[in-house]
Amino acid sequence: MDQFLQTLMGALAIGSLYALIALGYTMVYGILKFINFAHSDVVVLGAWGSLVFARWAERTAGWSQTPWYLGGVVLIAAMVLCGTVGFLVERLAYKPLRRAPRINVLITAIGVSLFLQNTGQLEAVFGTRPASIPRLVGDRTIAQIGLVKIEMLDVVGLFTALSFMLGLDWLVFRTKIGRAMRAVSFNPQTAGLMGVPVDRVISFTFVLGSMLAATGGFLWALKYSQVNQPADTGWTLLGLKAFVAAVVGGIGNVRGAMLGGLAIGLLEQFGSAYLSSSLSDVYVFSLLIVVLLFRPSGILGSTAVEKV
Amino acid sequence: MSEAILQARGVSKSFGGLRAVSEFSLSLPARGLHGLIGPNGAGKTTVFNLLTGVYHPSEGEISLAGESLLGLKPHKRAAAGLARTFQNIRLFAELSVLDNVRIACHLRTTHSMGSAILRLPKHRREERAIVRRSMELLEVFDLAGRASEDARNLPYGDQRRLEIARALATEPKCLLLDEPAAGMNPQEKVDLRKLIHQIRERFGVAILLIEHDMGVVMNLCERITVLNFGQTIAAGTPEHVQSDPKVIEAYLGTE
Amino acid sequence: MSHETPPTPGLVSSLVRGYMPFVVAVGVAIVMQVVVRPNVDPYPAKLLLDIGINCILAVSLTMVNGFTGQFSMGHAGFMAVGGYASGAITYYTSMRVWGAGEARGGVLSGMLGGEGLPWLTVGDGLFLFSLIVGGVVAAGLGYLVGLPSLRLKGDYLAIVTLGFGEIVRVVIQQTSPVLTSAEEVRQATILQLPTHVGGSLGFSGIPYYTGLFWVYLGVCVTLIVAFRLKTSTFGRAFLSIRNDEIAAEAMGVNTTRYKVWAFVIAAFFAGIAGGLFSHTLGVGLSPEAAGFLRSFDVIIMVVLGGLGSISGAVAAAIIVTLLPEWLRGVAEYRMIIYALALILIMIFRPKGLFGVREVWDRATWAWLSRRKSGTGARGGARE
Ligand SMILES: Nc1ncnc2c1ncn2[C@@H]1O[C@H](COP(=O)(O)OP(=O)(O)OP(=O)(O)O)[C@@H](O)[C@H]1O
Ligand SMILES: [Mg+2]
Repeated sequence: MDQFLQTLMGALAIGSLYALIALGYTMVYGILKFINFAHSDVVVLGAWGSLVFARWAERTAGWSQTPWYLGGVVLIAAMVLCGTVGFLVERLAYKPLRRAPRINVLITAIGVSLFLQNTGQLEAVFGTRPASIPRLVGDRTIAQIGLVKIEMLDVVGLFTALSFMLGLDWLVFRTKIGRAMRAVSFNPQTAGLMGVPVDRVISFTFVLGSMLAATGGFLWALKYSQVNQPADTGWTLLGLKAFVAAVVGGIGNVRGAMLGGLAIGLLEQFGSAYLSSSLSDVYVFSLLIVVLLFRPSGILGSTAVEKV
Repeated sequence: MSEAILQARGVSKSFGGLRAVSEFSLSLPARGLHGLIGPNGAGKTTVFNLLTGVYHPSEGEISLAGESLLGLKPHKRAAAGLARTFQNIRLFAELSVLDNVRIACHLRTTHSMGSAILRLPKHRREERAIVRRSMELLEVFDLAGRASEDARNLPYGDQRRLEIARALATEPKCLLLDEPAAGMNPQEKVDLRKLIHQIRERFGVAILLIEHDMGVVMNLCERITVLNFGQTIAAGTPEHVQSDPKVIEAYLGTE
Repeated sequence: MSHETPPTPGLVSSLVRGYMPFVVAVGVAIVMQVVVRPNVDPYPAKLLLDIGINCILAVSLTMVNGFTGQFSMGHAGFMAVGGYASGAITYYTSMRVWGAGEARGGVLSGMLGGEGLPWLTVGDGLFLFSLIVGGVVAAGLGYLVGLPSLRLKGDYLAIVTLGFGEIVRVVIQQTSPVLTSAEEVRQATILQLPTHVGGSLGFSGIPYYTGLFWVYLGVCVTLIVAFRLKTSTFGRAFLSIRNDEIAAEAMGVNTTRYKVWAFVIAAFFAGIAGGLFSHTLGVGLSPEAAGFLRSFDVIIMVVLGGLGSISGAVAAAIIVTLLPEWLRGVAEYRMIIYALALILIMIFRPKGLFGVREVWDRATWAWLSRRKSGTGARGGARE
């Protein structure tokens, strides 16, 4: 029972991270119909940006104790940074390819990903050594059920992730810009004819997705004491799993991405705890293949039959 | 009525709540020329998709030359002798005009992939036969001169005719043409009419034709089926159909 | 395309024409080994090996991604499976039979200053056998991976094949350490041996058999098969699937069958490339060989060359292999430059170097003449 609760706690924590990142994939896929391979690198940027900024702030201010609001400030800084980069990437690399075959866009995305990775790896930027972020959230156990400890860190992370997701859900389904996003996702041409500013909506989507990625990166850096170097394959794998979450939930579907993220988190954590931890990637990709074979549009997605 | 080559009985199809085709029946005699008309969205193209196996009917029976086609994939139906063109042209755009036709000859070849890789005599013989046959077809459609051009670079009317040539290359018993005159100018339409007659004489195929241009349909077809909202509202000779009040109503609307 | 049919050639002449290219292939491979190899330093020789192996990978992937337009992103998975399978065969057979894992004879033995045995000695025969088995094992997996392509399209298939590569990687990571003593090998059963391929430490001790001869023999055979497929009725069927699957099916092309075939053939050659790779001096075969980074490399070659162009894939394989070498002077920035080049090519030359055509097709260069003379290009000849 204790192990079960502990695993559940871990699954929720990691699942909400996957969900946050999956949202970025799903929104871009929903609108432009391609896998934005560079998304995981924006997550990296979020993690490293937070790390560098937090260190710089601590050094210059010389606090004896980290103020409670620093975490929020760092997160906002990371979101601004990632949002800007996301905006630029879309404008400079993807926009010229609006009419190109999808495979070109996919290759470009791989190119952007390589570019961000290797730029991040430069000594003048983040370097190639792992580093760790200063403690921004108190290292406390806030509750204990049996042997299971509920950490402050996990609660803050889960809370942040959930509130961002609820915010996004509200934005997509309750606001004017959300309606425009859904219209463009449904059919860009028609949306354009109806007066929706398609380019602006796409930019907005990228910025939004990148900000969520920044949040994911930030929380990741907080959760794991060691942040790996930007070109570490672990990051790409993280991105892939988040993408799998998006596909499993139903690509293009915002609520599906959240559901998929949690599903992947649960599968991975319980698989690791009860079966074998070294095979956790295998579970994730096997789930992907099974879902795609039996329900190709994902859990919440709707099938579209090609009209002839 | 003479022996029917293509037969459909009580074929229905729904998309979600929309009943796109209901209780469609057809009996197309060998070498017959049958028209399928109806307002936009009546379900004509859906009938083609059901006949050729792109969609599967929720009920009903389809047979070609006495053999049931139900459950067969489109390529099996092509092998059985059913060929079609598409309303929104679906040529192999990046490939040459000749290749477009040669691909349709593929299903009648019998040599193996290994024999193609080793360039065995059988492969060479069949490849030569394919080229000969394809060029003959392109000759008939006046496209031989453009054989090496990319299909997408052809003018619209030529693309429509290339689609017919390609369909004929599968050696069909029955040919389904989806709005072949769409986008053609009056002169091209007159030529097309002659061409369709010629196709039937020369290749001995039965033809089922969807067309919005009444001039083309009424002049060409021996029998006509009229669809509206998926229902067959009239069927018979052109004269009969033209004077049917339900048909007039469907086309002009009631007020 | 000439309209008049050439006179029917006799059986002998057509057999000669059918097999001639394979004879030429052996000739090229011998020249590479006997004439080229002794006259270059080890480092450029290694580059030549890399280029050859990358050519095989790129040309084989062209058959899936280029011909049929299915987007496979797990090509490295097939390569790794082939590499591990053939490596396990040569290593453990040598251990069992000769009690040691080193190469016996082989093209490389001369180069390494060994006893300089004639070419097709026992070791080389074993190597060739292992290559083919590696290819067949990979092809079997290609069949399994090709099956989802019947139901999945585009990006979904891409992500499934990518997942396949990752599964291969993780599964290889779980294997046990390599058995290093002849005693242990003799005691293990045949079925146990394939599970002892080193896990995450990598498979070390595979004998070095790969030489320019084998690699360029592989390159030539891959090229002949790819090219003959492309210019046959089967190749046109492949290409029709990429152009318009629904129309292809309506014209009688059994799209499911050919999609799976494309996967099987491509996986076979990727497996061969893997075998060549794993028997190369100075190469550590590790689970990372199956990772997506390696698959991306191959995809980049295929797209850069022009989807469906065989000669384009070869040109791109050469460029992609050499580019990092050329950029060695700016070591820190070379991957950044590489990435930027990739993005710029996709934006400004979206069809890759040659589009679907080959270098020697006139239409490939039509855009050049159009730019110069300002007139429309004449229709390009095919074949
Ligand atoms: N794949 C599909 N999914 C959902 N609805 C479909 C699909 N295919 C056709 N329909 C619907 O079925 C109805 C009939 O369509 P169909 O294309 O057969 O009409 P049509 O008679 O060919 O019209 P047109 O003259 O415009 O070509 C239309 O309402 C169409 O929207
Ligand atoms: Mg229609």
